[in-house]
Amino acid sequence: MMCVGISAKVVSLDEDTAVIDVSGAKRKIESGLIEDLEPGDYVMVHAGMAIARITGNDADETDRMMESIE
Amino acid sequence: MKTGTLSAKEIIESYRGPRLRIMEVCGTHTHEIFRLGIRKLLPEAVELISGPGCPVCVTPVGYIDEAVLLALEKGAVICTFGDLIRVPGTETSLAGARAKGARIRTVYSPLDAVAYARENPDRNVVFLAVGFETTTPAACIAVKKAKKEGLSNFTLLAANKTMPNAYEALKDSADAFLYPGHVNAIAGTAVCERLAREGISGVVTGFTARELLTALAVVIRLSQKGEPFFRNCYRRVVRPEGNVPARKLMAEVMEPCDAVWRGLGVIAGSGLRLRGAYRDFDAEARFGIPRLEGKSNPACRCGEVLRGGCRPSDCKLFGTGCTPQHPVGACMVSSEGACSAYYQYGGDWNG
Repeated sequence: MMCVGISAKVVSLDEDTAVIDVSGAKRKIESGLIEDLEPGDYVMVHAGMAIARITGNDADETDRMMESIE
Repeated sequence: MKTGTLSAKEIIESYRGPRLRIMEVCGTHTHEIFRLGIRKLLPEAVELISGPGCPVCVTPVGYIDEAVLLALEKGAVICTFGDLIRVPGTETSLAGARAKGARIRTVYSPLDAVAYARENPDRNVVFLAVGFETTTPAACIAVKKAKKEGLSNFTLLAANKTMPNAYEALKDSADAFLYPGHVNAIAGTAVCERLAREGISGVVTGFTARELLTALAVVIRLSQKGEPFFRNCYRRVVRPEGNVPARKLMAEVMEPCDAVWRGLGVIAGSGLRLRGAYRDFDAEARFGIPRLEGKSNPACRCGEVLRGGCRPSDCKLFGTGCTPQHPVGACMVSSEGACSAYYQYGGDWNG
């Protein structure tokens, strides 16, 4: 599957690469497109590259969104 | 996931307004909506249309023919995302080419193809670069790495696409879009805000049950107000500015071009090709192959499915001549495709 985003936890960083953990599976990815990453951050990964930092969870976000359409 | 009075689920289930066509423009949204049973919650007036959000599904037949030609006649090692291998070409698929002796390798990332080229300097390695804003940055990094390392045996067969002009082409097919969250993670939300000013409504959403239900509830509520709208319902991943370094990278390595979309035809400015500085890494130029048109099975209705013109089950091949085991059309090949999702979840409109 090529176009599936995988959320992953950053385990370690080395210049423009990172080792990520996805439910116990580890893999090296490119992380140079996300600034100021630190171990413990969560990222969205596509095709071996971190494309976005994940902040927060879906429960809080959807609660806020529902309140906004009152 | 509740407003003061109603939950997202209740807003969806209780809708009794005018017919509302909502197009999800992401294969993973299509798949998750089926898997989670969300279609079963929809009232009669709400129709979900599975749009052209799967890169495999919109890749034209001629592209597969070019890859087969490179593999069989030019002796190239094809590195590709696995979904493309069984997509039928005019004569054969890459799987068929492999059966004739072609070297076809499945990779997870374009960077894996670069690594293979580095380890096999005596082989010409072609990576099949398809995909939207989400996967194109990885292809661009791969080309830059190959150039930096002086790898002369690595090229791309580029058919990358961008979404904004596709929304324009599809605007009459739906009343609102569920925008593909991860495309917007790169592209940002300015394009969606512009589209709303032009009368095209939509929301960016994520992929969990909560996120998808909330997005549908937001579309329903805001549609009832009668004005075009845009909301970013996936702020935990999608920032308004998107991923600026990724867009700079893409602009450095690739430039816009017209592109053929299966089922939609040519959409001006919706494709990407390598810029002149990276032309040495363009497989078409390197091997001097022609641009092939290709012919799909005339009974296949993937093109109409992608425009929302018909449901997969309206195609006479669906579930009979065309199944995930023996696909005729691209929408049945990729597990992100609409036909595949319909088939997997029972071949029923409502999943």
